[in-house]
Order: sequence, then structure tokens, then C-alpha cells
Amino acid sequence: MKFKDYYEVFGVPRDATQDDIKRAYRKLARKYHPDVSKDADADVRFKELGEAYAVLKDPEKRAAYDQVGSQWKAGQDFQPPPGWDAGFEFSGRDFGSGDDPTHSDFFEALFGRQARGRQRPGMHARGQDHHAKVLIDLEDAYRGAQRSISLRMPVPDENGRIALRERKLDVRIPKGIRAGQHLRLAGQGEPGVGEGPPGDLFLEIEFKPHAQFRVVGPDVYLDLPLAPWEAALGCSLTVPTPEGSVQLTIPAGSAAGRQLRLKGKGIPGKAPGDLYAVLTIVLPPAVSENEQAAYRAMAEAFDFNARAAMKG
Amino acid sequence: MSTTDIQSLHGLIVEEDIPLTLEDLCQACCASREHVVAWVVEGVLEPLGETPQDWRFTGASLHRARLALWLTRDLEINLPGVALALDLFDEIAALQAHQQRVGPR
Repeated sequence: MKFKDYYEVFGVPRDATQDDIKRAYRKLARKYHPDVSKDADADVRFKELGEAYAVLKDPEKRAAYDQVGSQWKAGQDFQPPPGWDAGFEFSGRDFGSGDDPTHSDFFEALFGRQARGRQRPGMHARGQDHHAKVLIDLEDAYRGAQRSISLRMPVPDENGRIALRERKLDVRIPKGIRAGQHLRLAGQGEPGVGEGPPGDLFLEIEFKPHAQFRVVGPDVYLDLPLAPWEAALGCSLTVPTPEGSVQLTIPAGSAAGRQLRLKGKGIPGKAPGDLYAVLTIVLPPAVSENEQAAYRAMAEAFDFNARAAMKG
Repeated sequence: MSTTDIQSLHGLIVEEDIPLTLEDLCQACCASREHVVAWVVEGVLEPLGETPQDWRFTGASLHRARLALWLTRDLEINLPGVALALDLFDEIAALQAHQQRVGPR
């Protein structure tokens, strides 16, 4: 297990005030919240911030962490000294950013047991619900898929001590699922206390970025580049869709930006989405003598002013 | 860290199969009843049904409620501020959807 320097996460000195820590957390959390940030590793950074904040914002946990942590540097191999937490009383299950109980090994070793509160005999409570994100391919939503996912979850061992365990789940992704939707796996969240039932696991679905298709809700968009004569004269083309190629007729006189709808070819479902081919027009470069002659012939054949709408 | 056996699981799509009650939503996002009720009154969440007992939330509420909780608890934003922030998030999502439709230009 590697030692984590929670002060380093926030870029504050060890003697920072609670206000400094709060300010540093808010600033970084705003930057890295997955709904705000475009960074690929925003999720990871945000989790790390949540974990560091859960410790440093709580004066009791911070004092305990300081006692253990003063001799360690980030990344060093670390084992908590036996009885390190003697004399510290942690008050209950206040997690702060507690919708994410899947903190690091390091956090669990130090605070896992305390953070969940000591179990009293005869006490029963339902386990917390857990949340995780799952990245799938757009094609999976068309066909349905079986995906293996790995989750780290705190589980009590036979001595009642909490340890992180990696759980592999084989999840069936139903056909027709859309980005942003949640799959609920009943009973796969945190174990219950006493005889309480376990919580549920919610998986939020996200599509991996696709080189060709863009997705908006149930609808799928595809850029379809055309040569000027294909757009002007019309043609019939083979167009890829996530479930195989289809034949598409481009009407004569199509302009760039025009959207041709393939009804029902979006993500399937009770109300299936549509697939839109968004036309773009690519100008062929005029390099050879022949090509330049063709452009000159066009200039002569057309009574066309590209700037007719421009004033002055 | 140990690894348990692989389990094969079928999930239900919350948005299509399971309308969430007030209690379900509180449990699913670790928010208090008071918070969720306040968000509904402020218009942050719009469940179907008249009284709190009849309220049914969609899966989209789950994401909004978790975001609202983060804004409330960690950033200590007050209720009108949370409502405003979520409206702005909606606006960004709408702009991003528009951008997706027209494609890179």
C-alpha cells in the first residue's frame, strides 16, 4: 500500500487552516467535477479530492492522519502502525463526499472501520447504495452485450475489520440503453449492518467516443462528406450505421448541413431513435491542368455570386 | 486486496423500468428527505404525483439529485444557487447536444 499525502492533493502546507483546506478543495472540486471538466482523468482526480477532503475537513480524522503521516512521503510503502488510532474517537459515518464509498486501500486501512461506525449488536440497517460509471461501445446499445466490470468495495472480514475487495461483476447491458441512463443491480451495494439487507448498485452508462458517430439521446448523427457534383446532381451511396451499412439516396440540390433522416436507425427501444446523415461538401483541389479547366468551365457556365447576400 | 468470484447479473434500466419513490431516491443518492423535498419545492426536481407519498422520480432525477447534493454539501451553495447551477448545467447540456447534432465545423 502506498502512502497518500492528502495535503499534496490540495497543494497546501501541513499547517494549513481548515478554511484554507476548504477553499483549496472547492477550487479543485469545481475544476475536476465530472459534470464540469473535460479532462479524461477528471473522474479519478475528483475521487482523490473527495477522499482527501473526507479526512482533512474533519478535525478528528485530520489529527489522527497527522499523527501517522508526519514521517511519510507520498508514494512510499505504508502499513499503519498497530494501535495507531488509539485515543481517537471518530464520530460516525460522515463521509462528506460520501456518495463514493470506494476510497483507496490507504483510506480504508486508516479510516474504513471507523468511518462506518462501530457495529453494535442488535443493530440492523440497510447497506448504502453504491454508484459507478460504465463505459460501453455504441454498438453494445444496438445489440445488447455482456460486460465484465471490476469494482472495489469495502467488505467486512471475519473479524469485522473492513478490507477493500475487488469484485468482478458480469453485467448484461440491455439492448436499447442510452448514455446517462442507470442500471440498477439490486442487492449489489454495500452489505447491510446486522440483518439489514444490502444496498443496490447503480451503474451509470456512458458511451466511449466513436470516430464516426455522435449520439444525442436516442438519436445518432453521422457526418457524410459529398463531392459538389454528388450534392448537386444527387446520388445513391452506401452509408455505415452502427448495425451495418445501408443504401441512402442523396436528393439532387442538397446543401451542406442538410440532415437526411433514417427513421428508426438510431438506438433501438420502445421509441427507437433515428439516424441522421449530416451532409458536408468537400471541394476537390484543382491541381492538374484538366482540373483547373473544369473549374473554369464551371465559372463560365454559372451565373453565380457566392457573396450575393453580403452587403457593401 | 482479494477478489471474489465473478457473478453474472441482470440489471434494470432505472429510467424505463423503475420509477423511484421519495425514499428510493434518498437512499440511492444518500440525501436526506428534507433535502429532496426542498429541491422539489424549488423546482430542481420535478417528480410526477401531487403529494410526497405519490411522488415518482425518473432516473434523470438521480443524476440531478447527486449533483444537487454535491453543490449543497461540499460547495455549501444555498437552495436558489443550486437551482441556478442546475439550470446552467441543463443549458450546457443543451448546447453540447446541439453541437453534437451539427457536428464539428
